[in-house]
Amino acid sequence: MEPFQTHRGRLALLDWRDVNTDLIIPARYLKRIERTGFGPLLFADKRYGQGGAPEADAPEKHGPPDPAFPLNAAECQGASILVVGRNFGCGSSREHAVWAVMQGGYRAVVAPGKGEGFADIFESNAYNNGLLPIELDPADWAILAQAVRDHPGAAEATIDLRAQTITIHGGAGESPVFTFETPESQRHRLIHGLDAISETLAHDAAIRHHEQSAPAWLAPQTR
Amino acid sequence: MATTLFQKIWDRHLVAATEQANLLYIDRHLVHEVTSPQAFDGLRLAGRTVRRPDLTVATIDHNVPTDDQLVIRDPLSKKQVETLRANCREFGVTLHDIQSGRQGIVHVIGPELGLTLPGATIVCGDSHTSTHGAFGALAFGIGTSEVEHVLATQTLWQGPRPGSLGVEITGRLAAGLEPKDVILAVIRAIGTGGATGCVIEYHGAGVRALSMEGRLTICNMSIEAGARAGLIAPDETTFAYFTDQERPFAPKGQALENAINDWRTLVTDDPSAFDRNVSIDASTLAPQVTWGTNPAMTVDVTGVVPGPDETPFAAPADARRALEYMGLVPGTPIAKVAVDIVFIGSCTNGRIEDLRSAARVMKGRRVASGVRTLVVPGSEAVRKQAEAEGLDQVFLHAGAEWRQAGCSMCLAMNPDRLEPGQRSASTSNRNFEGRQGPMGRTHLVSPSMAAAAAVTGRFTDVRELLDPRA
Ligand code: SF4
Repeated sequence: MEPFQTHRGRLALLDWRDVNTDLIIPARYLKRIERTGFGPLLFADKRYGQGGAPEADAPEKHGPPDPAFPLNAAECQGASILVVGRNFGCGSSREHAVWAVMQGGYRAVVAPGKGEGFADIFESNAYNNGLLPIELDPADWAILAQAVRDHPGAAEATIDLRAQTITIHGGAGESPVFTFETPESQRHRLIHGLDAISETLAHDAAIRHHEQSAPAWLAPQTR
Repeated sequence: MATTLFQKIWDRHLVAATEQANLLYIDRHLVHEVTSPQAFDGLRLAGRTVRRPDLTVATIDHNVPTDDQLVIRDPLSKKQVETLRANCREFGVTLHDIQSGRQGIVHVIGPELGLTLPGATIVCGDSHTSTHGAFGALAFGIGTSEVEHVLATQTLWQGPRPGSLGVEITGRLAAGLEPKDVILAVIRAIGTGGATGCVIEYHGAGVRALSMEGRLTICNMSIEAGARAGLIAPDETTFAYFTDQERPFAPKGQALENAINDWRTLVTDDPSAFDRNVSIDASTLAPQVTWGTNPAMTVDVTGVVPGPDETPFAAPADARRALEYMGLVPGTPIAKVAVDIVFIGSCTNGRIEDLRSAARVMKGRRVASGVRTLVVPGSEAVRKQAEAEGLDQVFLHAGAEWRQAGCSMCLAMNPDRLEPGQRSASTSNRNFEGRQGPMGRTHLVSPSMAAAAAVTGRFTDVRELLDPRA
């Protein structure tokens, strides 16, 4: 996993609530057995308009962007921090949604409401891939979202994961600094780009001990 | 201090814990073809093995064609299925393959085969793993990286222990009402984010009165309220599931007795232990129909499509987008809305009782002209049972299609899907945009409401179709 310490990038806003993973990456693209190639498939059914979405095996062959989709605006191109509405990533457990967001060019997603910004599984999938899910206080989130609306294409932010701060710049006048919280264990893993499995294997003795003390009825019986 | 069922199961499975991170042991890992290929690849790349193939079980469900399971025309679907077969062979994982007699939607076969046990931890790379909580198992969906982690270590890292939300169901369901109506009403009451970060425990007399099938339907959609998991404390109904019929992987004889003695302790000592509690009176419910693009956008079948300002938990702009997508005008009685397709199946409502409910309504009636109706059993075993009871004949005589087991039209990944603009009455769990096919319009209902829509061609209060003598 690529470590995440600080990141400066342009902001893009998708101010919709309850954006579900079927919207982020429609189910038919889940037939891909690779971890790559999902960038052009991000929001495919919104992004290209009707009939323009690519086939699962040829992500690069797609129709023209649909101007009605907010992230198709010129000022969103090249953005790397996605500002979204509450309960982003709800629905299915598909990690493909996180792969698509990351391969679509984003390193962080910012949603309003502590404990309410992201659906649980999306959030853990994000951490496991090095996509930083940031939940801001709703008032702070509103200022950030307004900065993007007021300064289209110019609003930028710097995320400092060690300090757990996000700072707005880029034509947005002042530079408010907002704080957020990331669970200690996730932060440690992200900053150092650690592999969770190796870390867990260090607990092998404890795992073995648990296995030995499990009740007999818990073991699967006949095949 | 009073302890919840959830806390008891959680504590039993802690392998290591720090203030912010908990390592949980996983008793059962269910695997399907969609979310596992990249996980097996990861193992291969790192030279790792599956730690406990005996606790890992796979099946094929999402990609399966339900007209003829054996003929997978889509080359990508075929490749995904074959990849699972190859991975199971390579890593020594048991696969319940198509036409083995045990294949089906992963959340339907888990209980049937006795893989799902009270007090166990169960994970699967699938959000509807919450289904298994109906047995008093702590069951939740995980992403592909976590699938890889569980394959390699049989454990999973979790943050601090989630909070608990008690959902009390009082009262009994009236005729024509089903567990699906209960869970839709719960989500409508608390919103799609109403239980984010929490584990829901359903309790109360209304839950005790339900069969295992009904409980599975309710726990299935916990995720639609944002919950980590849904739980129901095991009771005599749960135990009978194992004593009335032999479940291949479940304990038997003395081991089962020991298990049941232990399972009796799996209760919440006092409902005051929940962080929050909400209550729903099941006896006052009318059949529910979703009108919008998330499962909280629901009305009574006697109600009308709401306006964008009358939609709880949605900003007016979001509600307007939903109305537009669904092609609905506020104020329209939902019972005036016509359907093109009826889908009866999925891990929410693809079990035998669901098919019985649908058959009760369809018996002696005909599917309305112009409506296509698919009845899709959730597993090969459900299909066999339904045929033994003659339900297949009821559906076929009514003019419905009797299909083979799979996820089918629940999601647009196999040949069963909506065409753009088509409107469905569906017993599945998600009405998201495009869920059943790009630009398809999904309304979630119970099996008997779906059957009622099939025979009338529109959303119909199933209570009007019930035989008063029955
Ligand atoms: S039936 Fe639907 S919700 Fe259930 S596992 Fe299959 S696709 Fe997922």
